[in-house]
Amino acid sequence: MANPFSDAKILYTLPWNSDVVFAVAFIGNDKVAAANRRGDILIWNLPATGDKTPDPAQRLIGHTGPVNRLLVSPGGKTLISASNDRTVKFWDALKSEGNPGTIVMNDGYVRAGVSVAKLPDPPPPITVKVVEQKPIREFTGHKEWIWGLALSRDGKTLVSGDEAKQVILSDAQTGAEQRRWKVKHWVRALDISPDGKLVVTAEQFPFIRDGDTDVGLHGWDAQTGEMKFDATKQFEASKVLNVGPTSFRFSDNGKYLAFCLGHIDRDGPAGKVFLLNPTTGEKVRELTPSHVRGATDLAFHPDGKHLFTCGRDRVVKAWQLSDGAQVHEISLAIGDKKKQGPFTPTLHAISISPDGKLLAVADSSGQVVVCTLEDRKK
Amino acid sequence: MFSFHDKNHLSRRSLMKGLLTTASGLAVANWGALTHSQTIAAEAKRSGKRCIMLYMEGGVSQIDTFDMKPGRPTAGPFLPIQTKVNGIQVCEYLPKIATHADKLAIIRSMKTQSVDHGIGGYHMHTCYPSSQRFPHPEIGAMVAKYCENPDSDLPSFVKIGSGSGLYGAGYLGPQFEPFVVADDGKLPGFANPSVVPDIQDRRGELLNFMEQRFAEQRPGEPFAAHRTSELRTLRLMKARKTFDVSAEWEKAKSRYGDSSFGRACFTAFKLVEAGVSFVETSHQGYDGHNDNFPVHKANLQVLDPAWASLLQDLQDRGLLKDTLVVWTSEFGRTPAINFQAGRDHFGRAWTIVLAGGGIKGGQHYGASNRDGFEVQDNPVNEGDLFATMYKTLGINHRAKHFLGSRPIWATPDGAKPIQELLG
Repeated sequence: MANPFSDAKILYTLPWNSDVVFAVAFIGNDKVAAANRRGDILIWNLPATGDKTPDPAQRLIGHTGPVNRLLVSPGGKTLISASNDRTVKFWDALKSEGNPGTIVMNDGYVRAGVSVAKLPDPPPPITVKVVEQKPIREFTGHKEWIWGLALSRDGKTLVSGDEAKQVILSDAQTGAEQRRWKVKHWVRALDISPDGKLVVTAEQFPFIRDGDTDVGLHGWDAQTGEMKFDATKQFEASKVLNVGPTSFRFSDNGKYLAFCLGHIDRDGPAGKVFLLNPTTGEKVRELTPSHVRGATDLAFHPDGKHLFTCGRDRVVKAWQLSDGAQVHEISLAIGDKKKQGPFTPTLHAISISPDGKLLAVADSSGQVVVCTLEDRKK
Repeated sequence: MFSFHDKNHLSRRSLMKGLLTTASGLAVANWGALTHSQTIAAEAKRSGKRCIMLYMEGGVSQIDTFDMKPGRPTAGPFLPIQTKVNGIQVCEYLPKIATHADKLAIIRSMKTQSVDHGIGGYHMHTCYPSSQRFPHPEIGAMVAKYCENPDSDLPSFVKIGSGSGLYGAGYLGPQFEPFVVADDGKLPGFANPSVVPDIQDRRGELLNFMEQRFAEQRPGEPFAAHRTSELRTLRLMKARKTFDVSAEWEKAKSRYGDSSFGRACFTAFKLVEAGVSFVETSHQGYDGHNDNFPVHKANLQVLDPAWASLLQDLQDRGLLKDTLVVWTSEFGRTPAINFQAGRDHFGRAWTIVLAGGGIKGGQHYGASNRDGFEVQDNPVNEGDLFATMYKTLGINHRAKHFLGSRPIWATPDGAKPIQELLG
């Protein structure tokens, strides 16, 4: 089996021990943005060589709640973020000027577990000087936490979905709302097909308890909001959806539609990844072996042939789309159990650079991990 | 000639009570009229109190509900909303409960010892630590003993579902064990008679008549216990329709929320209305070690309409003043948000809410400090909480019982009712 990622390795580990790092997105091929549950967004410039770990260069200030999703417009000009503060904010991703500021990179709580009697003293602050920027505009059409965020491949239409069960299409340039419709459950993830005709939503009303979980996987006509398919029923018997979908994406060439499961942490191989027919929503195949405890995000590689997923098991998996085979695996296992605490920190989000050479992961242990997917010495 | 249809001879209830008198003094399990001495019955009639416990299984977060810390690093993503009582704010996902704030006594200074599920569940049901390895009764059994309606055909201690754990009647004896029904209120299979009620009644009376004669010749606990079980089943068959709220639920579910917890709260209301002394129902899934906030948010949206409608219905039926409604859990959750976006177990400063039953509502009691890590004012331990609940239910919180010759009290030494909460 050909493995084009056999030389993949960690290039940078960017520490950010402030709050749970939850979202990540490449800006071009040499910058990466990450966001945390406190509402902060940082941007790092990535040197061509991996000799020195860079500090963040920019801090984007504006969100007042956890940032759930980040994405970048085609061409890398605009960074877009979706938050629990009910806003979608747009940021100038190319701008490097702004007000000078300082950020503390390690002001997060030390993990407090079941048996902790007293919080340990905080470590000495690690400060970094950054350039601070504000959003260039925001979309305020949502009344609830926003988890679904996608941009049409032409960059013109923004699709967002929230926990009020609303899906909203808006003009990405003007912010003007074009249409909205209601889905059955909270929107956890969504995407719009490359031809702009179909919106897919992954929905869930989360309960920990088996049997009470309400989940939906649907396809919608982007022009009318009419339901085109319900992909939920084919999974009902197995109850695999009960752990909750975390990501739902089309490949850029429109040939593939993938989703993964793992919103709720569950023992065993609960982090399943499936490929669906992008037109009908019918299951094409399950990608195995599953992530343990849950799969949290997925990203198609720009080569159109591979899919990457990450999970609660701290593993990044590379899958070959033609036959579903797993071709590579990057483990970010924590050797020091004391650092890990009573529960394993999760890899929450994944992004691949436009040239396909770098991969970044948002790691809840308080860092962003950047990997090279090729041997840079070749 | 004796006739089983002769109403002048012996009513069915009298027959059953009479049978008990001959049953060597053995109390009948958890069944009003069948269990008690005249002294206790008189005390119960004087109290007339009932209790509904809403148990948040897994450990509910105080900072995400009633002790919010807006602007602090521990706040989490939920926002506070103002209630109808000045100075009391609650989570934005409890808007219906906010309208009942005048009924709520919010204890924000719980400081408890047992911060894991099994031991925490035991401690918060008995007010004693499980490490004592002593058979303490859970609160439902205590309320059943002291508050049950002597004339009721219904069990006096009902648990809807067993999600909150079964800790038992302990030293109070098996007659106060909980009667457990399914989440939807369905009764165990033995409660369904195989024949129509009239025939079932006549069969029961015949059986009782014959066994009475038999028992007079052969006194002893094994036989009495056997007859006790028969009587429980017969009475449950007669009262079983009280548990079936299906028809009324169709109308009520729009208010309570179409959820199993909503239905359990409505069933609890109907059971209390029918005379049950203690009903407990649990709402599962609060153990948010990871992704605490979506899970709590979802749960609060189920909790809010159910709890609020329960309070409203109790008030509308004039039952709230005599019905204590307890919102509790095995512990709270850490102010610190861990790196799984979760909160862990926490007992040093958390929140419990009381309403009704003589509790003075519309107030906070105690306080946690700025970030919620410690109690700042008026710490309340397990014993104080139980002493307060017992006091308002008309139960002597220092009631002394015996296990063999060993004395044991309803609450630990030093436990005191919180006078500010008692109306």
